Amino acid sequence: MIEASRDRVWRLIGKVIFSSLSNMENVEILDENNFRAILRMKVLGLPVNMKLKGEMVDISPPDSFSVKLLIKGLGGWFQADQKVTFAMTPVEQGKTALACKATVENIGLLPRLLLLGEARRFARSTFEAIEKRLQELA
Amino acid sequence: MRVGIPEKWDTEYDVVVVGWGSAGTAAAVTAHDQGAKVLILEKMADGGGNTRICGGNIIIPKGKEFIEYLDILSFQTTEREIIEIFVEEAMKNGEWIREMGGEVQVFTPLEVAYPTMIAGAGFPNVRGAETVVKYNIKGTLEEGKPSQRLWKFLSGLVAKRKIKVLTSTPAKELISSPGGEITGVIAESEGKTISIKARQAVILTCGGYENDPRMKWDYLPVKPAMFLGTPGNTGDGIRMVQKIGGDIWHMTRLSCLIGFQAPGFEAAFWVSFLSEGFIFVDKYGRRFVNEAGIEIHEYYRELSHFDVEKMEFPRVPLWAIFDEPTRRRGPLSRGTAGYNRDLYNWSLDNSAEIAKGWILQGKTAAELAGKVSVDPRILEETIARYNQYCRAGKDEDFGRAREDLRDLKPPLYAIQLWPALINTQGGPRRDKESRVLDPEGKPIPRLYAAGELGSIWGYLYQGACNIGEGLVFGRIAGKNAAAEKPRS
Repeated sequence: MIEASRDRVWRLIGKVIFSSLSNMENVEILDENNFRAILRMKVLGLPVNMKLKGEMVDISPPDSFSVKLLIKGLGGWFQADQKVTFAMTPVEQGKTALACKATVENIGLLPRLLLLGEARRFARSTFEAIEKRLQELA
Repeated sequence: MRVGIPEKWDTEYDVVVVGWGSAGTAAAVTAHDQGAKVLILEKMADGGGNTRICGGNIIIPKGKEFIEYLDILSFQTTEREIIEIFVEEAMKNGEWIREMGGEVQVFTPLEVAYPTMIAGAGFPNVRGAETVVKYNIKGTLEEGKPSQRLWKFLSGLVAKRKIKVLTSTPAKELISSPGGEITGVIAESEGKTISIKARQAVILTCGGYENDPRMKWDYLPVKPAMFLGTPGNTGDGIRMVQKIGGDIWHMTRLSCLIGFQAPGFEAAFWVSFLSEGFIFVDKYGRRFVNEAGIEIHEYYRELSHFDVEKMEFPRVPLWAIFDEPTRRRGPLSRGTAGYNRDLYNWSLDNSAEIAKGWILQGKTAAELAGKVSVDPRILEETIARYNQYCRAGKDEDFGRAREDLRDLKPPLYAIQLWPALINTQGGPRRDKESRVLDPEGKPIPRLYAAGELGSIWGYLYQGACNIGEGLVFGRIAGKNAAAEKPRS
């Protein structure tokens, strides 16, 4: 729950997502809806660089939007399509519920077994950071 | 000015369009579709002008309240009846594109950079701002960036109609009859002068004067100003109209960002930041603005302060000071717009530009100050003060929003920035029929203009309106030109 209007949350969320991903570097804005970046992560305790390609889709201001992510790394061994949807719902005067849903597709069995837990932890911590930052700014 | 009919015309057309961007295309296509034989003269080797390298957005307002919005923004520099006709026709921009076989999609950007193109109104508190909706030509990134898709669509309309285009053929002079009617154009092609008869009319759509140092120094409120767009815009249309006694307007108006002028490049690089860890300081190392709150087209307002004691513009050039996370976050110069977009690949972590000396670095604020010739004590004090505001979550000096504050820790970097024109707005004064006027407000017979050459944006500029205006007044000019009675 964010103590701010939906419009304010909408205005903040793009930059807050970007600033919350402090391990995202070399961001290349390809056009106003597409970007590429390097994501520096730890997998099984080891630092790895993942290539990230993102596209903003299903943008419906100020209600919701999704980011389609294509993540590649570990010399091509790991590849996953992810779709992260953010939805903002006004719940009462001046407050907004923020929901985030992430789905992963096209991921091989072994990477799934080895890395999905890691990816889930990463997604959860990122969302918590986004929520925390939005609450600070509300 | 050349008065009188040449003994022999080299060639003749019904309508001659000078300049091939969005306005020139709309004018040529409309005149052609009304039955006119059309020639386009383009100075550069390729068409497109600023259209091909801009943000690619087109205004299609969703209500007539947009008239009120633009009327307020114009600050009485443009007659309301011109704004009214513009809005009426701009609401049909999407329809026109569909009729021509294109499709549009609403512009919904990822607003993550400082500065960035935004979806809505540049001046959201002005009446009618809610009617601002920007579109671009529908397509994916694989089909090109928005401006590339726009130019592909527009140039395709010309190709499909087999409208004759002479590239590398700058128009030099207008020819008028002893009665003051425009009868043709003198142009240069392959080192030769050619005279082109216009049986019906001439339409000027050859852009502004971003690359004419003298005009910029004469007219613009901030000096010097670099440019981000096409080097082809050197005020040719303005001089041609002045020579035949036409009036000019909006000459002091501009769309202006900030850019880095690299050695060996004609145009400047548009610079933006993908992270909040940056500030701007003037020549003396002092902040002067809410860096994250400047409307993207209006940077010159913050840079045009003139110090009458020192007799200088202390913010020209300015320095952007930024931190390590910002340096690593992404390239300072984006690939979405600007003439240099296709000429240079800025390195993703800015390291190549550090190596070239375009970006300076210092282990401390004092060391960086030495490199940018600023008093170290002043720069240190500026950064310390700013960091204090970041920690408190409130910028007491310039009101930079909490979400845009992050304290700056060494190592620090600096890049020198200049006012950088997207385009100028001035040129021939025109009426709602796109007719070029003389100083008494009378139309100069058979002469029309559209687009950035004497645009209707006389004070504040709303983003996506230059392309929108080019299409609207291009269509009006083309229609009216084709309706002129042909001269024998």
